[in-house]
Amino acid sequence: MSNILLQIIIYTVIWGSIYLLISLGFSLICGVLRIFHLGYGVVFVLAAYVTWFFMENMHLGLIPSIGLMILVQCAFALLVFYKGVFQRYLEEEEVLLTISILVFLAVAHLANYLYPVTAGVSIPSTIIDNVLSIGGVTIDYQMIIAAGVGILVTAIYVLWFMKTRIGLIIRAISQNLPAALLMGANVNRMYYLAMILSVIPPTICMIVIAPFWGVDPFMGMSLLMTAMLISILGGLGNLKGSIVASYLIGFIHASVSFIFVSRFMGLAALIVTLVVMIYRRGGIFAGETLW
Amino acid sequence: MVNLELRRDRIVARWRDKKTEWVIEPRYWRNPTIGISLLVILPIFVYSYPHILTMFTTANLYAAIAIPLALQMLGTGRVNFGPQLYLGIGGYTAALLNLHFGWSPAMTLAATIAVCAVIALLLSPTTLIAKGLYFSLITLILPLTFLDVTYIWGDIFRGEVGLVGMSPLLTFDKVSWNYIAYYYLSLFLMLMYLLFCDRTVRSRIGISMAAVNENENVARMMGVRVDIYKVFFYVAPSILTGIVGWFIVHTFRTFAGVTYLPLDFMTKILIIVIVGGRAFLYGAIPGAYLISILEDSLRGLGPVNYFVFPLILIALIVFLPRGEGLWGLYKKRRPRDYFPKLHVRRE
Repeated sequence: MSNILLQIIIYTVIWGSIYLLISLGFSLICGVLRIFHLGYGVVFVLAAYVTWFFMENMHLGLIPSIGLMILVQCAFALLVFYKGVFQRYLEEEEVLLTISILVFLAVAHLANYLYPVTAGVSIPSTIIDNVLSIGGVTIDYQMIIAAGVGILVTAIYVLWFMKTRIGLIIRAISQNLPAALLMGANVNRMYYLAMILSVIPPTICMIVIAPFWGVDPFMGMSLLMTAMLISILGGLGNLKGSIVASYLIGFIHASVSFIFVSRFMGLAALIVTLVVMIYRRGGIFAGETLW
Repeated sequence: MVNLELRRDRIVARWRDKKTEWVIEPRYWRNPTIGISLLVILPIFVYSYPHILTMFTTANLYAAIAIPLALQMLGTGRVNFGPQLYLGIGGYTAALLNLHFGWSPAMTLAATIAVCAVIALLLSPTTLIAKGLYFSLITLILPLTFLDVTYIWGDIFRGEVGLVGMSPLLTFDKVSWNYIAYYYLSLFLMLMYLLFCDRTVRSRIGISMAAVNENENVARMMGVRVDIYKVFFYVAPSILTGIVGWFIVHTFRTFAGVTYLPLDFMTKILIIVIVGGRAFLYGAIPGAYLISILEDSLRGLGPVNYFVFPLILIALIVFLPRGEGLWGLYKKRRPRDYFPKLHVRRE
C-alpha cells in the first residue's frame, strides 16, 4: 500500500510537471490573446518532424536541427496562425477555431504522408539513459529531467511575467485590453511576443519527452486534449490555475493508473473536469487574467 | 401571337388577355421546389454508377447531421463542436441491439430515439451551465471521450475496426436498386429534417428561439422560458442526429467509432454549416454536396488527399463570402445572422 502511495506521489509530480509544460503555451495564448488555440497540436508535430527532417534529410546534428526547428516553429506560429488566422478572424471565433483545427489536421496528415509511423521517426534526445529506484519505485532519469525542465521553464515564465516590464504589459493586456491600450501598450507587438512565448514550452517538452513518449504524426491530438483539459479545469488563460490543474490531472492519472487500470485515466480526468465545471463554472481560478 | 416584353427584373409574356411573368433573378425563383426536384431526378442520370449514388447518399446524410446542428446552434445560442457524439450513440445503440439481441430496424429505431433522448436530457444542463466557448469545449471533448470508451471496451464496441453485419433496412434482388433505394431514403430523411427545422424556425417558437439567441437576459425578461427552450433545442436535434446514426448502421451495415467520432468528421460537419452559410438551414444541403463531392474526388490523389482536403476546406472558408458561404453567393442581400457568438474575448 505504501509502495502504491509512493508511486502515486512520485508520478503525480512527474506527470504534473510534464503536463504543465504541455499546457503552458496554450494557457498563455488563452490568457493574452483571449482565443482558444485549437491548432496548438501543430507545435508538437513540428517539433518532432522538423527536427527529424533536418537530421535525416539535411544530415545536421541534433542541436543545430533543434535550433532551426525553433525558427520554423516561430515562423509558422507568426505567419500562419497569427497573421493568417488569428488577425483575420479574431471576431469570428467559430471560423477561427475551425481553420485552426484544419491547419492542424493538414500538418498532421502531411507529416503522416512524408514520414509514416513505419519510417521510425525518433529524436535521440536522451540525456541519461538509466533508471532511478526510490523505495521500490523505478523511474526513468529522462522522465525526471522532463519534470525538472517543466518546473524550471514554468518558474522562469512566472518570474518573467511578475518581475519584468514586458511581463507587466502582457499581464495588463490580459486583465483589461482597452485599459492597456489607453496606457499606450503596443498590443500587436505583445501578441507577437506571446505567440513566440507560447511555442517554446511545448517545443522543449516534445524534445525532452520524445525518448519515452514516442513520436507519431497524430500525437498532437492527445497532447492538445491534455492542454485543453488543464486549461478548462484551471480557468481559461490563468497560469496559477494551469499549475494547479496540471498537478491535479497528474494526480488523477497516477491514482487511476496505479489503483485501477491505466486505460481509464483519460475518462477519469474528464469526469473530474466536468464535475468541477458544474460547481465552479470558470474552472479553479476563474479570474480571466494571466496571473 | 405571343408578345415578349423585357423589363428590368423580369420577362413578361402576353398572349391575348393572358399574362405570364418570369423573374430573371434566380433568388426569386421557387428554388426549394427546383432544388428538391433536381435531387429527386438525380438518380436517373447516375443510376449505373453505384459509387456516385453512394456519394450522394453520404451527402444527404451529412446534410441530415448539419441541418439539426444548425437548428441547435440557433436555438441554444451555443456552438456545438461535437455533434457526432449522438451519431455515435445512435449508431452504436442500433448496431449493438441488432447484432447481440437480434432487434429489427424498427425496434432499434425506437431504442435509438429513447437512448439519445435520455443521454441528451442528462447532458442538456450543459447548455445552461456552460456559456460560449466553455460549451463548445465540453462538446468537443465528449465525443473524443466516447471514442476513447470504444477503444477501452474494444471487445464490445470494436472502435477501431467497427461492427459489421447489421440487418439492412431494405433488400432488393438487384444490387443497383439497393443503391437507388438508399439514396431516396436518405433524401427523404434529410428533407423531413429540413421541413421540421424550417417549420420550427418560421413558427412562433422560432421567434422565441431567435430572441434567446440574440440576448438570453432580454428574452427572459420578455417572458420567454429560456431554459426550457435551450433544453428542447439541445435534445431534439440530438435525437435527429442519433437517427442518422441508426440509418448509417442499417444502410452501410458497418459502424466504427474511429470513422464517425474523431475531429476529422466533426470538422467536416462544421465546415458544411459554415460553408453552407453559418447556420442557414438550406445552406447545409449545397454545403454537404460540395464537401461530399470534393472528398470523393480527392480520393483519386491517393494518400496525399488527406493533406489536400483540409487545405481546400480552408480555401473555401477564406474565399467564400465572409459569414455567408455558398448562401452568400446565392443571396446577395445580407440576411439576419443568427449564428451564436463565441466569447472568450470579453465585451
